[in-house]
Amino acid sequence: MVAVLDIRDLSVAYGRNVVLRDISLSVKPGEVVALIGPNGAGKTTLIRAVSGVITKRQGSIFMGDRDLSKLSPYQRARILAVVPQARQLGGAFSVEQTVLMGRTAYMNWLGQAGEEDHEQVRFAMEKTNTSHLANRRIAELSGGEQQRVFLARALAQDTPALLLDEPTTHLDLKHQTSFLSLVHQLTRENDLTVLMALHDLNQVSIYADRVALLLEGQMKAVGTPQEVLTEEMISDVYQTPVQVFSHPKHKFPLIFPDQRGLN
Amino acid sequence: MLKAKLPPYIVNLPLLLLALILSVAAGAVFIPPGTITKILLNLIPGVDIAATWTNSFTVIVREIRLPHTILIAITGASLAGSGAAYQGLFRNPLADPYLIGVASGAGLGAIFTMAISWPEDLLGFYFIPAGAFVGAILTVILVYSLARVGRTVPLTTLILAGVAVGAFASALTSYLMLRSEDEIYRAISFLLGGSPVAGWKPILGILPYLIVGMSLLAASGHMLNVLQFGEEQAKQLGLAVNKAKVYIVITASLTTAIAVSFSGVIGFIGLIVPHVMRIIWGADYKRLIRLSIIGGATALLLADTLARVLLAPQSLPVGIVTALAGAPFFLWILRRAKSEVFW
Repeated sequence: MVAVLDIRDLSVAYGRNVVLRDISLSVKPGEVVALIGPNGAGKTTLIRAVSGVITKRQGSIFMGDRDLSKLSPYQRARILAVVPQARQLGGAFSVEQTVLMGRTAYMNWLGQAGEEDHEQVRFAMEKTNTSHLANRRIAELSGGEQQRVFLARALAQDTPALLLDEPTTHLDLKHQTSFLSLVHQLTRENDLTVLMALHDLNQVSIYADRVALLLEGQMKAVGTPQEVLTEEMISDVYQTPVQVFSHPKHKFPLIFPDQRGLN
Repeated sequence: MLKAKLPPYIVNLPLLLLALILSVAAGAVFIPPGTITKILLNLIPGVDIAATWTNSFTVIVREIRLPHTILIAITGASLAGSGAAYQGLFRNPLADPYLIGVASGAGLGAIFTMAISWPEDLLGFYFIPAGAFVGAILTVILVYSLARVGRTVPLTTLILAGVAVGAFASALTSYLMLRSEDEIYRAISFLLGGSPVAGWKPILGILPYLIVGMSLLAASGHMLNVLQFGEEQAKQLGLAVNKAKVYIVITASLTTAIAVSFSGVIGFIGLIVPHVMRIIWGADYKRLIRLSIIGGATALLLADTLARVLLAPQSLPVGIVTALAGAPFFLWILRRAKSEVFW
């Protein structure tokens, strides 16, 4: 399967309120596409629509040649895994129990896990450096550890595609960068197709191969960080004056917001 | 770290056995456990132990104590099992069949069925749990739709709606009972959680429901586990969420109906037992459901035994004992374990 995530002319509405309009975007295997935009632009809605938890009004979402909206949750969960926004749920479960629930789509309705399930869980926990936490309860972990556990759960799903919804929101600098480095590394190693909503534009610049910029439910721009993260575009969309510099060594665009008039 | 725990079944199964023996032994007349064992062994074809006890003991054990004990065990197991399932379904520590009104709804269904015709034959006994089941399902649908705010079911509205619908159902139940004057004694004892009928017939009546209900309940653990991450994540993990919810509602309502049909509305067991099991042995619903079933039977047997011996030869309605003993115990557990209960 050529696992290209292909979103075409997607529209989503809550009642009469159209929150996404004619979104088209494709994400290739081994590629991290960052989803950016001001609050309320529709980033989370897009991720929820692609993951199948809200119904679309129009358009199509394909993964390779499979129409995701025609699949059952069970089939979809073998193609696409989601790392939710950091928030505490299922806190009474141990880390290992949580990661094992990533195998739901492979287990029967009694939840009996086989050797392959346990093998995949071990692999996912090793990759995310959570093996030593196996018997700890989720609620006892730090924010950074919790996010790694949810990444491990998504990896346990063994899917070609991964969606992440602002996974670094509540993390400190160290955990933000280590988490994003891990996602980047896993994407390259396993040829994953990754769509990730992010707030911090400098992180987008460092970790994303391409950027999709949403504004008021519409796709404003798609391209490399250099193409999208320009002074005009960001100042305009975020209604905040910014200056964009080029990283002296790596040539990433670096965004410097300024309202004090230093610009 | 999860603490090194007591092995759950090694603790709970002997406790259940002890409660069963106590329940048969205790009452207006105390019957020694040794005698009970011999009387029970005599039930097995081919075994014939010479009686060193009065014949009335044999009759009391076989025709009164044993069916009563079994009915109480089934009731406790069903209440606690369905309590665990409701708590998991609503992801809410206060959702027990009593507080969310389902038990009262089931009670109304049972009384309504009885009011149409008080059961004289076995067929009548088969219909009462069916009536209770319909009452439970209708109540849970009504409470859920009343409590729903947008896409969520907040704790406060769930309990408010449950208490209101439960009170309404109880009032209707009382009205139905008062209209049939002959049944008033049975009715009142039913309302307070006392079996209005004795003997083996009620057990035969609920047996088919029990087999189906308990099998479905025992299989619901994995679904409940996945649902603890919220419906959205559960769906993203590959669970058919709507089907799972319908399955659990039907299962929990069926087991509530089993509990209520011949034992009336008994509070606290469905609330406390799953909590205790969860605090001691963790949140994995696969295990929690099974432990709640075992622990529910044990707890209600002990409460019922107390109810029969405290003011012997008079016996208290068991609902009074579960509330008297259960409420403080619950508060103690809650205070002690506040930091360990992660919902």
